[in-house]
Amino acid sequence: MISYRQKQHLGKIIKYIVLTIVAFITLFPLVIVLSSSFKNESELFNFPFRFIPENPIVTNFARLMDKFPLYIWNSVKLTFTIVVVQLFTAATGAYVFTKLYWKGRDFIFGLYLASMMIPMQAVMIPQFLIIRNINLYDTHASLVLLGAFTAFGTFLIKQYFMSIPDTYCEAARIDGAKEWAIFTTLMLPMSKSVLVTQVIFSFRFFWNDFFTPLIYITTPELKTLPLGMTDFVREQYVYWGPQMAAALISIIPVLIIFLFGQKYFVQGVASSGLKG
Amino acid sequence: MIMAVALSFTNYSGGPRFRFIGLKNYIVAFSDPNFLSYLFVTFKFMTITVLFQIGLGLAFALILARNFRACSIYRGILYLPNILSSVAVGLAFMFIFEPSNGFMNQMLNSLGLPTSKWLASSKSSLSVIITIAIWQNFGYYMVLFIGGLQNISITLYEAAEMDGAGKIKQFFHVTLPGLSPILFYGLTIAIIRGFQVFDYIYIMTGGQQGGGPAGSTNVLAFDIYLNAFTFFRFGYASAESVVLMIIILAVTFLQSHGQKKWVNYDII
Repeated sequence: MISYRQKQHLGKIIKYIVLTIVAFITLFPLVIVLSSSFKNESELFNFPFRFIPENPIVTNFARLMDKFPLYIWNSVKLTFTIVVVQLFTAATGAYVFTKLYWKGRDFIFGLYLASMMIPMQAVMIPQFLIIRNINLYDTHASLVLLGAFTAFGTFLIKQYFMSIPDTYCEAARIDGAKEWAIFTTLMLPMSKSVLVTQVIFSFRFFWNDFFTPLIYITTPELKTLPLGMTDFVREQYVYWGPQMAAALISIIPVLIIFLFGQKYFVQGVASSGLKG
Repeated sequence: MIMAVALSFTNYSGGPRFRFIGLKNYIVAFSDPNFLSYLFVTFKFMTITVLFQIGLGLAFALILARNFRACSIYRGILYLPNILSSVAVGLAFMFIFEPSNGFMNQMLNSLGLPTSKWLASSKSSLSVIITIAIWQNFGYYMVLFIGGLQNISITLYEAAEMDGAGKIKQFFHVTLPGLSPILFYGLTIAIIRGFQVFDYIYIMTGGQQGGGPAGSTNVLAFDIYLNAFTFFRFGYASAESVVLMIIILAVTFLQSHGQKKWVNYDII
């Protein structure tokens, strides 16, 4: 007979084995990308797979040098702009929806939330026609405009603002503070963690966003990194090495942010569910 | 949205002249066997990915919800694919599933198993994309469910144990009801996202010529894109997008209606 303790012990070992196998499967494709971007074409398909290439090369990255620096710069510029704009609209929006009282507020917020439920495909064609009519097609401004508002982010920050008691704001109002001053000197410093969560989420989304640039950008000089990466898809011959190198480049920034801000990711996912 | 519905009744194709053609776009769509097959592919993709994403997400949430040594490392690793760009993920898996001597085929070869053409074959291309969608997304649902599980009060389990309930009974009478609001939320999100899949299809089946061999991976969202932005049939594409919207809203509505039966908000 196996004792209870032994049984518990065995269960623990099985748990670790299962988790390790799954973690391995999860990470393995990333390991392949990492190591393949330093391999030359003849070594790429060697089997068994070697993590450290026999002759590590950097020519895969060098092959990207003519176009990719521009793609990366476009992505950095756009992502940064949109993240800042979104943070501003979401935070001010959340403030207006929680700490100010006005007629029809909850109704408007309801509409705002409902916009999250409507699939993007249903609005994209009218959106496209509007953007084209105001002559913003094939400009970066169109992407900023489309990304300027975030119902999810407003909701996220609003949930947090609601947990801050109104009495703080009222006290400040009695002291003669303007709404803007209350917002910037009182509310924002108290909600740093949710603001960081919002920044991380919108950074990840727009850094990875592929569909919007695909529709709105055609000039090669304006392409973002994810869109530029699909150049590989359209070519007749596939250059696997540079393709893996490009994938690696696009992964690194989110990976770094993930390593330092894992708890904010978890917070963002969890709080989206709690009130969902 | 109103504009989309209005457009769907016209034959607008970007030029200055277009006219009202009533329900013709819808009639064309539903009498086209291709459209019906795209619809079928979309439903198939959605059903399988939702089952596995929610199933795996729940299974690993149950394992990882309690704190133990290294649990946060495992959580991080399983969630990791979710933050990556679908383009990078698509490119990586195209390499792994390369049809002639990619990594997957060589591994199957060395194990003596039959190889496959993967994305280049109409039989397996959808399965490959489904696998990748599951790989990338189940971690999201896991994190979501861990949050939900940690909100269930420990005293409920203690009480259940006092009453002599075993582990399985505890799962069905404490864990599932306690998790049901978040399970419901996760399910809704997974279904909506399943219907909207686009990026993988575009990237892995050849861009604008995409849709997979014999249209085997042509989902509705992809066909909308093709019709609108490659063929400039805005009217017809709008009609398709209205169909997609109605499906999604109907599912959401049915779910929020059905949730009253099985979602329990009182237990936490």
